[in-house]
Amino acid sequence: MTEERIEAFVRSYGELEREVHKVIVGHDEIVDQVLVALFAGGHVLLEGVPGLGKTLLVRTLAGCLDLSFSRIQFTPDLMPADIIGTNIIVEDADGRRHFQFERGPVFAHILLADEVNRATPKTQSALLEGMQETSATVAGVTHRLPSPFFVLATQNPIEMEGTYPLPEAQLDRFLFKLRVRYPALEQLNEIIDRTTTSHDPSVQRVMTGVETLAARELVREVPMAAHVRQFASTLVMATHSQWEEAPDITRRYIRYGASPRAAQALVLGAKVLALRAGRFAVSVDDIKSIALPVLRHRVILNFEGEAEGIDADRLLSEVLEAVEASFREGKEVFLR
Amino acid sequence: MAHGAALGLTISRLTRLIRQRRAVFYGVRGLAWGLCLAVVPVALRAMVGPWALPLAGGLAAGGALVGALYGMLLGVPPVDALGVADRAFSLKDRLATAQDLLGRPDRGPLADAAIKDAEEHARHIALERAVPWRWPREAKLLPAPVLVLAVLPYLPPVPLPDVSMPSFTPATEEEKKPEAAGPQQAVERPTPKKTEKVERVEMQDRDYQTRPNPEGREHAKGDLAAAFKDTNVATKRPDFSSFLKQGDDRIRLLERVDSLPDLQRDFTQSQYKVMFRKSRSLLSGIDPRQLTPEKLRQLLEEMNRMGRRPGTGPGGEGDWGQEMMEGAEALDRGQMDKAMDAMERALSKMRAQEERERGGKGLQGGKDRGRGRDGERGGSGRPGEDEPDFGEGQGSLPGKGTNPGWRGDPSARLGQNPFDIGVEGQMRKGKRESYDTNMLGKGAQNPSRLPSMSVVTQYRKMMEEALAKEAIPLDYRSQVRDYFQALEER
Repeated sequence: MTEERIEAFVRSYGELEREVHKVIVGHDEIVDQVLVALFAGGHVLLEGVPGLGKTLLVRTLAGCLDLSFSRIQFTPDLMPADIIGTNIIVEDADGRRHFQFERGPVFAHILLADEVNRATPKTQSALLEGMQETSATVAGVTHRLPSPFFVLATQNPIEMEGTYPLPEAQLDRFLFKLRVRYPALEQLNEIIDRTTTSHDPSVQRVMTGVETLAARELVREVPMAAHVRQFASTLVMATHSQWEEAPDITRRYIRYGASPRAAQALVLGAKVLALRAGRFAVSVDDIKSIALPVLRHRVILNFEGEAEGIDADRLLSEVLEAVEASFREGKEVFLR
Repeated sequence: MAHGAALGLTISRLTRLIRQRRAVFYGVRGLAWGLCLAVVPVALRAMVGPWALPLAGGLAAGGALVGALYGMLLGVPPVDALGVADRAFSLKDRLATAQDLLGRPDRGPLADAAIKDAEEHARHIALERAVPWRWPREAKLLPAPVLVLAVLPYLPPVPLPDVSMPSFTPATEEEKKPEAAGPQQAVERPTPKKTEKVERVEMQDRDYQTRPNPEGREHAKGDLAAAFKDTNVATKRPDFSSFLKQGDDRIRLLERVDSLPDLQRDFTQSQYKVMFRKSRSLLSGIDPRQLTPEKLRQLLEEMNRMGRRPGTGPGGEGDWGQEMMEGAEALDRGQMDKAMDAMERALSKMRAQEERERGGKGLQGGKDRGRGRDGERGGSGRPGEDEPDFGEGQGSLPGKGTNPGWRGDPSARLGQNPFDIGVEGQMRKGKRESYDTNMLGKGAQNPSRLPSMSVVTQYRKMMEEALAKEAIPLDYRSQVRDYFQALEER
């Protein structure tokens, strides 16, 4: 029974991936990590310059899943009510007037928050409750958001004029931050072929919302050994410069390290990776594979790191190496 | 098969393999260190004797044995043992995780599936390849001690260092025997046996009597008679009685240090040693009460006379006239104990002067000697005391030149705030730590200064906080950083 569930998950995952790749050329890693976040129950922040297919990816994914989809284009004049909804006065058949809550676009299974850093912090924070609590409160009334609720936000790292960088509290609510890079030459050729002809690729719905939720349940059942959990915790702690065993590079460049949410995200993401590979338990390699998307937006560099233009990915790779070396040393059977 | 049986079997096999490899690993390490230690007895075989080689072999074998035992007895946690196999066969922590899950009573169906999967994998791996042979770094160094051990027996034994403490006790009868054995033995000094006490050269109580040399041989090396071989006292045998009465010619000759050949400043030139010998021979085996006051008086007078050599100022350590006077007075009063006490103090002063001269003269340069003479001319008794150790034009800032107060004049301070001080003084070379606040207009004439280091630090902190709070738009951040970087470069 268990094996069948896992086989079904692996099959669905593969089908979903294939459907998305009917439209999206390349970006294998991005597609994979978006799906991991979907099944781990987290949200994704996609960062990349315009024209790389971020919005198309999200729309395609929504098309592959039998789920409702909303898209909000964030602009500086966008208000929280434009996202969550508002109470409006309606008149019933008897002529009596009363307030009725008009739901905003946030009430959808898959929400695309396009260029999220263009809205004001007030509007951005309207998403906070939805992302963490899957609910929205208007005029003292809390409304449940549909489940599964999956937010994919995009932001452009170059055009910073008139933008409002997401506050740390909001960044922490994204399970992954993915960097969408330029496609390779061959991929670019294929993009041209696909998009400049009359051929219009269509995707099929391969999973329903119920199946998605069941997959999320299965993910949480995946067991994890104590030493793997220890590795995940050590990795998160190693991003804290105040930790006494922190690597030197952490002490040098990081001001604030990752939160406990990062440890949760590491484990959940690693569980999805284990299941996707048909394994029944999480390994240290799964944690390592998912470390960068989980941690890159959760560490805050200090002045020295900012001044030297330290890249978070490079920094975290070195932290990961240091933690792994220390971990291997602890498991060394000869030299102890 | 029951849950975990295959895993248990895998663990036991892995543990055995790991212990074997560890035993070899630590055994080789122990052997390397044992061989290094084994070099010592072989090198010192002159001291160790016939046990040198067996001891060396024992050390090497013992090191290997202790290392091997240590490696075998080290604990092997099951999860770590399985982790070795996981890494060796890229099993993605399957075995270690399964072992961990086995210990959980509330494991779910996925955990059971994980254990089953791990056991399936464990059955199909060749564990011998899981635990590779590892060699310690010391293995590369093994040939070195082996080579040394192979060569050392063919080399002459290492000479033993002289590590015995000087003997201050009077010579015993046994020690005196070789001296009285005859002139032949005195000339042909045998190599000291291992059991003999070897005294430090400078503290040896040498007998500098002129040795009879009937066969007309050259004087033996180190023979103190060589110091007198060209003098009219070379062939004289010193007579203690005549010394007490008239003073020994040798002692008088010893006073004329410039006319004596410098035999590497042999200790026999020491006044202290001479007087020590005399006093010892006077007291050796004799009850102080039986010592005649006349002999003691003569000895004290001799010491007093020697204490007035040039270079020993009154009141200094080199002057033991005070003790001599006290000794003479005590003798007049018939107090032998006090006289002996005074003589011992005089001897101590002699010794202190001797030590000072021996310790310093070999290293002193011309400057020191010159200073010493200057000091004597100045009559201060402390040579070179009033001469500053700074050359022309040297001194600490801001004073300079040959100001007798070598720290220079105190600087005028601006304002009364003792905590944030600007010092108005001469400009010096190097990086400026302040900047002018009024460069134009009337204020340009005012020497107005701000301590730039503290100001820049303060603004730098503010800038850092502003950057951290994202108060500065991203486009301007690099400009702000460049600005502060430019300030630092100034």
